Amino acid sequence: MIREEKIQIPFVYAAGQAGSRFLVALRDDGRIMGSACAACGHVSVPTRSFCPACSESDLSDVELAGEGNLVSWTEIPGRGVFALINLDGADGALLHRLIDSPDKLAVGQRVRAQFAETRKAHISDLAGFVVTGAGP
Amino acid sequence: MSETVTVTIEMEQAWRYASGTAMERFSEGLKERRIEAVSCRLCGRAYLPPRPYCGKCNIRMSSWTPVKDEGELVAWTVMQLPMLDGRTGEMREAPYGMGLILLDGADTTLNHYLAESDPAKLAIGQRVRAVWCNERRGAMDDILHFEVIR
Amino acid sequence: MNRAAIIGTGQTRHARRRDDLSQPELVREACTAALADAGIGQKDIDAVVIANMELFEGRALPELWVGEGAFATGKPCMKIATGGTSGTSGCIAGFHQVASGLFDIVLVVGFEKHSEGHTQTGMALTDPFWDRTVASGALGNFALSISQYMVDRGVTEEQAAKVAVKARRNAARNPYAHLQMPDITEQEVLDSKMLAHPVRMLDMCPQSDGACAIVIAAESKAKKYCDQPAWIRATATRHQQPYIGDIDHRLTSMETLRSAARSVYAAAGIRDPLKELDVAEIYEPVSYAELAWYEALGFCEDGEAGRLIEDGVTEMDGELPVNPSGGVLSTNPVGASGVIRVAEAASQIMGRAGEHQVQGAKTALATGYGVYAWADAMILGTAP
Repeated sequence: MIREEKIQIPFVYAAGQAGSRFLVALRDDGRIMGSACAACGHVSVPTRSFCPACSESDLSDVELAGEGNLVSWTEIPGRGVFALINLDGADGALLHRLIDSPDKLAVGQRVRAQFAETRKAHISDLAGFVVTGAGP
Repeated sequence: MSETVTVTIEMEQAWRYASGTAMERFSEGLKERRIEAVSCRLCGRAYLPPRPYCGKCNIRMSSWTPVKDEGELVAWTVMQLPMLDGRTGEMREAPYGMGLILLDGADTTLNHYLAESDPAKLAIGQRVRAVWCNERRGAMDDILHFEVIR
Repeated sequence: MNRAAIIGTGQTRHARRRDDLSQPELVREACTAALADAGIGQKDIDAVVIANMELFEGRALPELWVGEGAFATGKPCMKIATGGTSGTSGCIAGFHQVASGLFDIVLVVGFEKHSEGHTQTGMALTDPFWDRTVASGALGNFALSISQYMVDRGVTEEQAAKVAVKARRNAARNPYAHLQMPDITEQEVLDSKMLAHPVRMLDMCPQSDGACAIVIAAESKAKKYCDQPAWIRATATRHQQPYIGDIDHRLTSMETLRSAARSVYAAAGIRDPLKELDVAEIYEPVSYAELAWYEALGFCEDGEAGRLIEDGVTEMDGELPVNPSGGVLSTNPVGASGVIRVAEAASQIMGRAGEHQVQGAKTALATGYGVYAWADAMILGTAP
């Protein structure tokens, strides 16, 4: 015998200290903030309270350019193109979506951030990235 | 303190859950208002819910024994606080009575609702009887609740 | 088996909501405090154990999200999720890793942010063919078992109220405790809102956001970093059958806790726990449970728990202070609560319990309680 049921689960996500700074900067200033580690130099995005590379907590916020390189991508039919983007000045990559992506995508292509018009301190305040040119 | 951000999300979780053969037989029986336990040939315990193995003796069980839809109230409470109904995710309004019932023929107890929600009228040792729904789907809520008979 | 000891503990301030911190930040706060208390750096940690009930947050894979908060990046890391025993079982797992000789230093951290999820939903997601029909929750399950326990042992609401008052008065000397009710009276407990007969609001634990961490070290490291380590002398874990109806007179019998206690007492050479233990931190989610645990833990004969609380035996100035921290009744971030029991017991042995220190504590008991009747026990001492 098989039983199928559904249940509603409400939950609240607390962005915390570093996550809140990232989301507020996104909302108020249309800026993408990261964190630079004094111990190992790793620059993470979004902002963190401790370094994902070395676990130390002596970090300072840095503003990142709204531009970067396409690291990898995948297209989910009906849902769009999702991509990992290495922002200029950051180590590692940010997962987001591509807007109006051209037919031909290539690793290393230049992309630029596009912000939503009405913003609410949510990751969707960053509407996505548009491809602006070929890679290096 | 600087602004802290929280994001609220409502999520729907869906399951598809397989009963296994012992629970299937039991559930099919409920449609006919029949309750059966499965018993262990080593320790002799008659288990509700039925299951394939005795957790005490760690052997397979396959012997079925009939259980009455009447028994003894061995523990009770009256909930005064709405609680979440695990079937829907909705809250069940209080007050409502709830008990552990030792059905005649079983050695483990059944947790179910009681018709009575006045704490002054409930006591350990009372005899209770299942009130069945007219429409039955082969699930524990085919029993609406238990009523005190004496 | 190699000797192992706790050399540092750390916890967060516990509260109904810690919206100021994300889950990894909350975990980091406790871990940083534990490392500072132990006098070690993150590079000294060989492995990490995380205790958490992720269904209570509604978010999968806490070891992924909070691991870096626990200094686990690039290190062995595992999660323990066994309801209320998550924390004590996590500590026991960490102990096994050190006692086996696999690692020299293990960091164990438990956390829960109940405010981010829906605890009742997590509790309700049980067997859909059997349990899920009845809207019961931990509260309802306890209330049922308490109705039996009161009849079996003649325990009264007044005796349970004394337990509730003791916990909150002790919590007033613990700056980390969630509930701060220094002036609480038995009458207030007895007048508090009825939740599920006979359990009232002030008989129950709160839901807390918080984290707690301990550092477990092998003998050579323990002696190097700590003047008075809390040596782990014995541990035991007991599980039970899956349904509440499987367990006959659950609180009265509590076979798992009885068995776990007998096991750790025998291993530590304890014959009379009331006399030989100096302090106990036990997992009591509801006032009545503490009375039942007194009997299961052998602090008194069966049926004598009510007298024990009435005589003040388990008060701070009694023969065996139970829960100087204020216990689960004052603070309950579920995944952390078992770690808190162990951390508090260890702090007593190390002489670092501050205003709720039991002077000269040499032998301490910590216990865990989970789901219907899972039980953990641990004996800590000033000597291995």
